[in-house]
Amino acid sequence: MILSSQRSIPSLQGPAIMNENGLKAHVACQDFSFFYYDNQAVKNVSLDFPSYQVTAIIGPSGCGKSTLLRSINRMNDLIPGSRTSGELLFDGQDIYSPRLDVVTLRRRIGMVFQKPNPFPKSIFNNVAYGRRLHDTRNHEELRSIVETSLHRAGLWEEVKDRLGDNALSLSGGQQQRLCIARALAVDPEILLMDEPTSALDPRATARIEDLIAELRGRYTIIIVTHNMQQAARVSDFTAFLYEGQLIEYGQTAQIFTKPREKQTEDYMTGRFG
Amino acid sequence: MNLGSRKLFDRSLTGISIMAVILMALSLLVLLGPIFSRGLGAFFFRATCEHRRLVLEQFGRGDEKEIAAEIQAVALARRPLYRMLEEFEVEMRGMEFARRQGFRAELKEVTGLLRELLGPLPGEPEGVMLRQQYGQTRWDRARIKLEQILYSEQWDYSDKSSMGKKVLIPRQQSFAGTRLEPLFPYLKNNLGKMLRPRLVFYWRFLTDISMDAHFFGGIWPEILGTVYLTLGAMIFAIPFGIIAAIYLSEFAAAGRLVSMLRVCISTLAGVPSIVFGLFGLAFFINTLHLSRSKSVLAGSATLALLILPTIIRSAEESLKAVPHTYKEAALSLGASQLRMVLTVLLPAALPGILTGIIISMGRAAGETAPIIFTAAVSVGQPLKIWETLSQPTPALPWNIYNLATEHQAVDEIRHVQYGMVLTLVLLVLLLNLAAIMIRARISKKMRG
Amino acid sequence: MSDAVSRLRRLTALILKGFLLLGTALSLVTVLLIIAYITRDALPFFKLRGPGELFTSTAWYPSGHPPEFGALAILVGSGLVTLGSILVAVPLGIAAAIALSDILPYRLRQTVKPVIEILAAIPSVAYGFFALVIFAPLLQNRGGSLLAIALWLIALPLGLLLIFVVTDAATRSIRADVALTARLILAAVLAVILVRGLLALSAKLTTLRIASGTNALNVSIILGIMALPTIISVAEDSLQAAGRELREGSYALGATRAETLFKVIIPASGSGIIAAIILGVMRAVGETMVVWMASGNAAQIPSPWFNFLTPVRTLTATIAGDMGEADQVLGSGRYHVLFALALCLLLTSFAANLASEWILRRQQRKLGGLK
Repeated sequence: MILSSQRSIPSLQGPAIMNENGLKAHVACQDFSFFYYDNQAVKNVSLDFPSYQVTAIIGPSGCGKSTLLRSINRMNDLIPGSRTSGELLFDGQDIYSPRLDVVTLRRRIGMVFQKPNPFPKSIFNNVAYGRRLHDTRNHEELRSIVETSLHRAGLWEEVKDRLGDNALSLSGGQQQRLCIARALAVDPEILLMDEPTSALDPRATARIEDLIAELRGRYTIIIVTHNMQQAARVSDFTAFLYEGQLIEYGQTAQIFTKPREKQTEDYMTGRFG
Repeated sequence: MNLGSRKLFDRSLTGISIMAVILMALSLLVLLGPIFSRGLGAFFFRATCEHRRLVLEQFGRGDEKEIAAEIQAVALARRPLYRMLEEFEVEMRGMEFARRQGFRAELKEVTGLLRELLGPLPGEPEGVMLRQQYGQTRWDRARIKLEQILYSEQWDYSDKSSMGKKVLIPRQQSFAGTRLEPLFPYLKNNLGKMLRPRLVFYWRFLTDISMDAHFFGGIWPEILGTVYLTLGAMIFAIPFGIIAAIYLSEFAAAGRLVSMLRVCISTLAGVPSIVFGLFGLAFFINTLHLSRSKSVLAGSATLALLILPTIIRSAEESLKAVPHTYKEAALSLGASQLRMVLTVLLPAALPGILTGIIISMGRAAGETAPIIFTAAVSVGQPLKIWETLSQPTPALPWNIYNLATEHQAVDEIRHVQYGMVLTLVLLVLLLNLAAIMIRARISKKMRG
Repeated sequence: MSDAVSRLRRLTALILKGFLLLGTALSLVTVLLIIAYITRDALPFFKLRGPGELFTSTAWYPSGHPPEFGALAILVGSGLVTLGSILVAVPLGIAAAIALSDILPYRLRQTVKPVIEILAAIPSVAYGFFALVIFAPLLQNRGGSLLAIALWLIALPLGLLLIFVVTDAATRSIRADVALTARLILAAVLAVILVRGLLALSAKLTTLRIASGTNALNVSIILGIMALPTIISVAEDSLQAAGRELREGSYALGATRAETLFKVIIPASGSGIIAAIILGVMRAVGETMVVWMASGNAAQIPSPWFNFLTPVRTLTATIAGDMGEADQVLGSGRYHVLFALALCLLLTSFAANLASEWILRRQQRKLGGLK
């Protein structure tokens, strides 16, 4: 079944609604592998990302966590020579099935990048960009969507009087929150975050982490981070990847206090990575 | 827009942009195709006995005995033709005045064309100009002349609504019943025996001088002129270009003077080439009196100014591309900046600089406007090196223009024009190819 | 190291730097000299005849008795072929730049780049030769049919695209279930109008008789092709400079490639594209050989002004052509008016150059905030 572009849009105030299959905002991979040319970056990972919870993917650099994340919204399609095997399921449907519409997929799955990348447009137009593409042209609707998204991203108070200013005039932390607002404005179900605070100072980092706590419960959040303490602070579940393979996965509290695998423990205690 | 529309728009953009690339590639094909195919015709063609005779008598090449025998055989084949002419003249003398007058004009045309086709008629004095001493040297042109002899052109203006139509009337008809009538079929059937066409690879087209305003011979003076001009331009431009590049990349502090210098360089790059030509005339010739009138020296100086910005830009880029580590290593070992530049920086950047130089050579070789007033003449002998300081020279770009527009017999020497264009284009393309290969080797070395 | 030695070292370094600076200053000196000499030899003309006649009269008879120097028709000729070459080169060039930066895969891109380099390397006299010897007879003998084919190739896809966009906009406010049928009906009607219009136009074109193959159209097309490499490389650099992150941000929000290009990338690199166009235009304006050989060299303003099928004359061709005779009589109006024309060319090229430099620098600053 092709993902319909006519999904019922939840009201911006209320919680998300279940779709036809009864699964809500749910991502899972089964025996999923990712290759570029002959290089296998993700090796047979089977993983479940619980709905409306925060799952962190940790591991040393080069272990494939970003690649796995970017496979979920098919951003890796932009890389030449990319192939996959296994299944990556969003609400029960394999997103690598040929009949799937990538444009709609990316609307339902939002992404925040490592380095804030606001468009060289006004703050308002940045946030409104995605929504304008997909459905709304009505200025009143856009205004209220932009306002709500900026509220949700915790940026409204700081920019409410200067929505027409160029987005590049904001500080790094503000730009990142702007990018989060931009992603939220299209009303996704999943939010992917690829090391969202690694380019930010500690204060901005703390703000983003608070934000993640607020967004939890409304969106399924999957966050890749090389900072273990951050994973411990913000996530409910943690997956540890090493050299493309899933080593261990479970509740964050358990992983950080009583890891089952030796490799996990070695990574935690800093013996490598 | 709904999703379907958005996707269709996306596909249209893909289609349009790919079409643009295809169109561009096609235009290159359309441009170079005819130039290559017809240009090769200046080198590979079916040459007649006239050509071989010419090469022997004017250039001193060829087997004397063989050619003498050929001339005899050809004369044999032509004799019936000339006999028919003589008999017709006799016949004409016996005609009444009106009829005779009727034939006179057309006979004159036919004999004129026969002279162009086969050379001077037996017993006639040779003309002054070289082209009057030989028949057609190329079989393709001979066939065109044949058509002109066999058919006369007339214009039919009877249809008022459209332009006049060209009608071809076989001359045999006009001379029906006379002694001249059998000339035409005889000519048609025996032209091969009268001219003996043979395929030849006239590579000496590149080294022979031209004779009688390019009617015969090759393009050596033009090639030599282009070589002189290009080398001269490089001699002037390379030192200044590299000096400027070194200064800008290594010694210049960011400031008003330097940014003004950069603006000057890019301004110079934008000046139209004809303005360079005028400047060369006004400055190098009329003010500095580098030479009394046009000369290779003045032309080279003008060309050098034209390509200077290109050399500076590419040299600077190559210098900047040298990794910092090389420079720092040399400096930390105690080398002065000059020594570092000469012994480390320049050698490392040399392939890149060379690439820029070679591409600029291509540009200098192909430019016409700067040399029109400063160095180029339409006809001339190949210069000796010391003559370049004061004498003008033919050059490929200028002579291509000249032969294609201002020449007396533009259509007769089409093959020479195409040959020149092909030579120039090949020269420039080969230079660029060399530059590309050097560049490819550099990037391979950099990637290790 | 002793004082004396180090002082000597510093002195040599200073001398060296001075020497290099002098060498670099050659370009400054050259620019100043060019301005000086062109102006010096142009001023006598203005002193002799004043500026009015040159720019307002179309009577160009420099060797007449009395001589007349009205260059208006020549200026219009230059403007016309520049406009024509922009119309050819800009759409093609930008579309090709988009293809190179965002659409073609790496290997195809590497095959296309040499094509562009070859187009850029071909000498202008070879283009001129082609325009005169191959293209002009083609236009003269088969011009009408060629134009008709070009019309279909360009207008049909664009027209269909336009119909698509128009029907989409028109039916947006209608109810969803009726909208599709309404859209199809409207599209069919418009398509019929389009096709019939094209058929009529192309029929008229095929019967068109082009009097002379050396005209403004010929030159515009060839100049357009010559300007393509410049436009494509500068525009492509500009598009690439926008960066991967902006593109990823847009794709991640569910935008198509076309939307990403038109709504994010091109606005971000817009000034670079304008600079590319200016540079391409400069190439066309300053080109001599092609226009000298193939524009027809008739100093007249076409009637109507946009009739590209008439011969025209440009500034560059006038300078090149008339100088041969004028050089004999130094000090005459004929000699100096050519320098006056050259001054016009020079000032235009300066203005265009400065404009494009300023624009490029502004773009670097605009995107610099992101880097």
